[in-house]
Amino acid sequence: MARSKVVLWGAVCVPLLAAAVFLPMMRSGLPVGIPVALVDHDNSATSRALVRQLDAFPKTDIAYRCATFGEAQRLMERGEVYAIMTIPEGFARDASTGRQPQLGYYTNNAFLINGSLTFQDLKTASVLAAASVGIKLGDAHGETGMQAMQAAQPIVVESHPVGNPSLNYSIYLNNMLLPGVLQLIVLMFTVSAFGSEVKAGNGPGLIELAGGSTPAAVMGKLLPYTILFMSIGLMFMGLLYGICAFPLRNGFWPMALNYLLLILASQGFAMALLAVFRNYRFSVSIACLIGMLSIPLSGFTFPVTAMYGPMQAWSSIVPLRHFFLNYVDQALAGVPLGYSAMHYAALMGFVAVGLGAMPGVGNILRNDTYRP
Amino acid sequence: MKSRIAELYGVWMSELRMVFRDPAAILIFLIVPLVYPLLYTTIYNKEVVREVPVVVVDDSHSAAGREFARLTDLSPDVRVIATAEDMARARDLVARREAYGIIHIPAGFAADIARGEQTQVEVFAEMSSILHYKAILLSATEASLVMGADIRVAETGHNSAGEDATAMRYVKGEWVSVYNIPNGFAAFFIPAVLILILQQTMLLGMATLFGTRAERRQIMLPSERMAGRRRGLQAVTLGKALCYSTLYLVISVWVLRVVPYLFGLPQIGHPGTLIVFLIPFLLSCTFFCMTLSYLSSQREFGLLLFASTSVIFIFLSGVSWPWNAMPGTLKAVAYLIPSTPGVQGFVKINTMGASLGSVMFEYVMLWIQAAFYWGAATLMHRWWVRNYDPRLNPPLSYTPME
Repeated sequence: MARSKVVLWGAVCVPLLAAAVFLPMMRSGLPVGIPVALVDHDNSATSRALVRQLDAFPKTDIAYRCATFGEAQRLMERGEVYAIMTIPEGFARDASTGRQPQLGYYTNNAFLINGSLTFQDLKTASVLAAASVGIKLGDAHGETGMQAMQAAQPIVVESHPVGNPSLNYSIYLNNMLLPGVLQLIVLMFTVSAFGSEVKAGNGPGLIELAGGSTPAAVMGKLLPYTILFMSIGLMFMGLLYGICAFPLRNGFWPMALNYLLLILASQGFAMALLAVFRNYRFSVSIACLIGMLSIPLSGFTFPVTAMYGPMQAWSSIVPLRHFFLNYVDQALAGVPLGYSAMHYAALMGFVAVGLGAMPGVGNILRNDTYRP
Repeated sequence: MKSRIAELYGVWMSELRMVFRDPAAILIFLIVPLVYPLLYTTIYNKEVVREVPVVVVDDSHSAAGREFARLTDLSPDVRVIATAEDMARARDLVARREAYGIIHIPAGFAADIARGEQTQVEVFAEMSSILHYKAILLSATEASLVMGADIRVAETGHNSAGEDATAMRYVKGEWVSVYNIPNGFAAFFIPAVLILILQQTMLLGMATLFGTRAERRQIMLPSERMAGRRRGLQAVTLGKALCYSTLYLVISVWVLRVVPYLFGLPQIGHPGTLIVFLIPFLLSCTFFCMTLSYLSSQREFGLLLFASTSVIFIFLSGVSWPWNAMPGTLKAVAYLIPSTPGVQGFVKINTMGASLGSVMFEYVMLWIQAAFYWGAATLMHRWWVRNYDPRLNPPLSYTPME
């Protein structure tokens, strides 16, 4: 293993590269300064105040002021702006005389994150505009500022996103992208650990080296990989929870156990794949395809509960899915370990599947010759 | 000139024959692009999150509190599954994943409203998915706005219907979601995935084929020799490029046109624009994949080396993580990869109906990449032939010879 260049590049450098790309990429947590175009047909003190307010939001940057909507639309088509706000002519006059002028906001949701984030700012700006008009009208009717505020918004909603109060996207994505890459690599390299022995004609030699014992041969072969992958897992934990200081509510051990079980479960899963398909090249291909699909199937981007039934069922036989649920419980929410017991057990189930596949893998080592 | 063309054609056809003779190549070039887009789109195809279960804790025990819960439940996005007597019980339901959020109505809710004071409803959301959080927050906010408007009307007294409407809203806002009208997840993410599937299957397939040849030291396959002599560098490089880029032109029809059609994803681009755009994309892809594939020294190593790069490339393409929020260094790295301008151009053409003029930057970038990687692939081929020359570097003992 230590001399293999493919392990060095594929199993060591690629995870490092993933961390080196993803963590700096999302360092800001939330995208800031999303370019927006403004079409202000009113150009009054009121509309300018609204625009200043919008521009002051960190997420939105009014990059262009356009004379016509068509001009703004072309900017959007070229991807220079992700949203357009239009203020109608006579906005200030109509608002103060109760004629309900209409603000228009157009978001480009072909880029969903930028679209939704600018939507939030535009919506807030228009609610604030409505409130400030309400306050002005209230003043005219002799209400105090507080009363007017209440009149504009009698009920406010305060949100508490548990475990990720700043809605940091880096917490969301990196906590799962890095383990996702790790699972993919474990799946493929576990297959290749045995496949390459068969390819080299070393299978019987390996069994002999282990004194004829299949479990000793298989585990002896896998243990160095387990140690390598766990070092990568611990490095990820150091980056995520140490350097980036992402939430780790229940401390080090539950998540360290989660990483270890993810690695062991993936090794077990890969052994089962090899035992079933036998062919080295084909098993690596299947491990790769399943490993890639596991990332969306784990449900950290689009929730599993919103998927079709068969996809939900599939997600339950993906190690990364159980890892994800444990991470939500133990790192983000900090609930007692007991609530996660089922998913830790599920990961151990994959390890058991691997043990069940061991005779099959031993058989492959003893008898198979390499088939391209 | 004529013989040059004949030679290119010869390389092209013999390379194509080898592709169709290898089961690994058939799996990665044909079956995966056929099936994978369907699987991927099926995962996201429900597009939006509906009926997220929430639990209500109503400390006010009032009609107003029940009204707020009812209004929240009316939203298609959430479903109130239970009313818990206290927060501890509600937290337990969330920890058991029976609910994904808690709506907490304070004890003074009804009294505050009656006194004309502003009151506050708290929303706790479990953060395993930002879409759950969004659904719960938006539904509660909508309920607060609807109920707030009723309260305002009640307070200002009933006048004409028109004045009531004005009291509800001094300024109206109209929101239009352009290009991705249902605001769906698949419509946003799948176009990027489709382009990545083209690039990455090409990379993995080519790396498998080239790795196989490397381990067998097959540097003089029919596509590389003529009358017992090695063909020219450019004849081999260009002939192979013709083979893979035309093969992928056919595959693109399925991946980029039929798949979005089957799932009803936005598809307003002009097919002509798309084809004109695809030509430099497929060429830069081909030379890019060729350059990297020469690094694969065994049949199975292509997958081991390059499969994980898909996750990195898709994030570098600037769709999942917005381009404007990406650090400059990473933008520079991202522009070394064909999928970056490929994804951005395809999303603009396919989803936003952009003309070629609107994607000129990406289009030119792809031609520059194609030229750059053409040069790189030529150099890599020269290195590869020397490195794997069986007279200088005999094949590994276990490699089956032909």
